[in-house]
Amino acid sequence: MLLAYKAALASPRVTAAAIEAGEFPRLADEMNVWAVPSIAVNGVPQWDGAVPERVFLDRVLAPSFA
Amino acid sequence: MASHNVDRLAFMPVFRPDEEPRLRELLDAMERPVELVVALGPEETPLPGAGDFDFSAETVKIVEALASLSGRVTSRIKQQPDGVTLFPAVLVLPAGKDVGLRYYGTPYGYELASLFGAVLEAGRPAPSLTAESLERLAALDRELAIDVFVTPT
Repeated sequence: MLLAYKAALASPRVTAAAIEAGEFPRLADEMNVWAVPSIAVNGVPQWDGAVPERVFLDRVLAPSFA
Repeated sequence: MASHNVDRLAFMPVFRPDEEPRLRELLDAMERPVELVVALGPEETPLPGAGDFDFSAETVKIVEALASLSGRVTSRIKQQPDGVTLFPAVLVLPAGKDVGLRYYGTPYGYELASLFGAVLEAGRPAPSLTAESLERLAALDRELAIDVFVTPT
């Protein structure tokens, strides 16, 4: 979670939200959350699990989000 | 049948007394102040088993406890602020500026550390990322909204 917050602090183009899955079960269902942490970018589910900083940036900065 | 969680939780401190001095020290050392805004509004119907847990009241309690640790952190409550659709939520504002840091839900249990980490990070003059990461983010030419689904256990 902290990496997402750091990214948001580093760039005015990035926002970061933690969402407590149990409190928002409908949204968690819509986003196919089965395990946590579960990461979505621009409303599209991406991956589950914590990853190192470089991998995190590789994934969120992937050209598919252009 | 209503559970007795609320009665039990009402007497539980948010932070352990033995960990408070270290937390105060970390917050007092922040180079810029951080404001926490608790956004309240209509909550989603909780899952069976959530019982009589008052998510909004608990979120206010946690955020106010965090803010009480240091003069570098302030908190206030706002009803349904613009741009917030899930309640309760906590907005983390470095130097009072909204840069898009949110916690949707009640940051209790394991996730209290996430909120605390967000506050410390917001209190830094620059994010604690590698120079390479900062360069890559500075070169970003599109908007990214990163959502991380979490649980408190």
